[in-house]
Amino acid sequence: MHELPITKSIFKSVIAKAESVGAKSVRMVALEIGVLRDFIPEFVQKYWNYITPGSIAEGSVIQIKEIDATASCGKCGTIYRIDTKNIQDSKCPECGYDYGTLITGRELKIVGIEIESCKEDKVDK
Amino acid sequence: MKDIAYIDLKQCILQDNEDIANEVRDLTKEKKFFLWNIMSSPGAGKTTFILDVISRLNGKYSIGVIEGDIESTIDAEKMHRLGVPTVQLRTGGDCHLDAAMIKKALENLPLEELDIVIVENIGNLVCPAEFDLGADLPSMLLSVPEGDDKAIKYPLMFSVCDALMVTKIDALGLFEFDFDALEKNTRKINDNLRIFPLSAKTGKGMEVFIEWLCKKINSKKETF
Repeated sequence: MHELPITKSIFKSVIAKAESVGAKSVRMVALEIGVLRDFIPEFVQKYWNYITPGSIAEGSVIQIKEIDATASCGKCGTIYRIDTKNIQDSKCPECGYDYGTLITGRELKIVGIEIESCKEDKVDK
Repeated sequence: MKDIAYIDLKQCILQDNEDIANEVRDLTKEKKFFLWNIMSSPGAGKTTFILDVISRLNGKYSIGVIEGDIESTIDAEKMHRLGVPTVQLRTGGDCHLDAAMIKKALENLPLEELDIVIVENIGNLVCPAEFDLGADLPSMLLSVPEGDDKAIKYPLMFSVCDALMVTKIDALGLFEFDFDALEKNTRKINDNLRIFPLSAKTGKGMEVFIEWLCKKINSKKETF
């Protein structure tokens, strides 16, 4: 459910960018989403398919790259991966310290879009 | 003839919200008030906690409240009875408040007269964590009956907060709640989180929290 408002935001940004470069249609949207966002890629695509009909993004595909959760060790500063299914057991692999501060895993980024334009139209990247 | 091109965006999905959250931050400096976002699951005791905080800060600070609810105005009516300027945001289904809603609500509060604006977010441990409101203090409540393992289940929420108020400690005898486990679980992802065990019902732990809160508020005031 929480994917819906986020998908609406993606739509707004994608359409604005695609229109600004004179795209005839959008074919693909590349996203980077941190694992802690608990996004279900199928849901994002489903909501996307619900929102986009009638727009230049109709029929386009969402590609999601999941970003691992990492933390910075509170003692030695080492950055290590956190297994989000097993947070309670995570600890610094270098010094064994239990606590850390989250570095990655909360990303919510539109990396880029693949668009289609007519060849005579100039695409300004 | 068709041509395919890849365009870089490298843009935050919630850029609109981030921009408005920054506008809200600027407004808090311009109008000189402290914006405090309180999140939690439904039933953790946000309204009871806020009412107790207001009564404890009465005479010391002038307080306004933004009440977020999916439906109803029950909580806002409770605030009104205390004579606190309150704006009710009824989201009509949306499970979170965003920065645009806060900006709009702030337009309806007498900001020139207020020192603190408390936002009672929608009861939900998922979505509210995703939307920066421009608050000086993003915080959450976790009640004893919910259990000590919530940081493992909702890590995003625990990672975006600066303070965690563990409410309903008067009910500790009825539940298996391990503070050491809670601290261990939360510090795995947010070593800077301040944890305050308290009960708004009995008042236990409230003074310690209020003292810390006042320091936060005064340190912002000093920057004005």
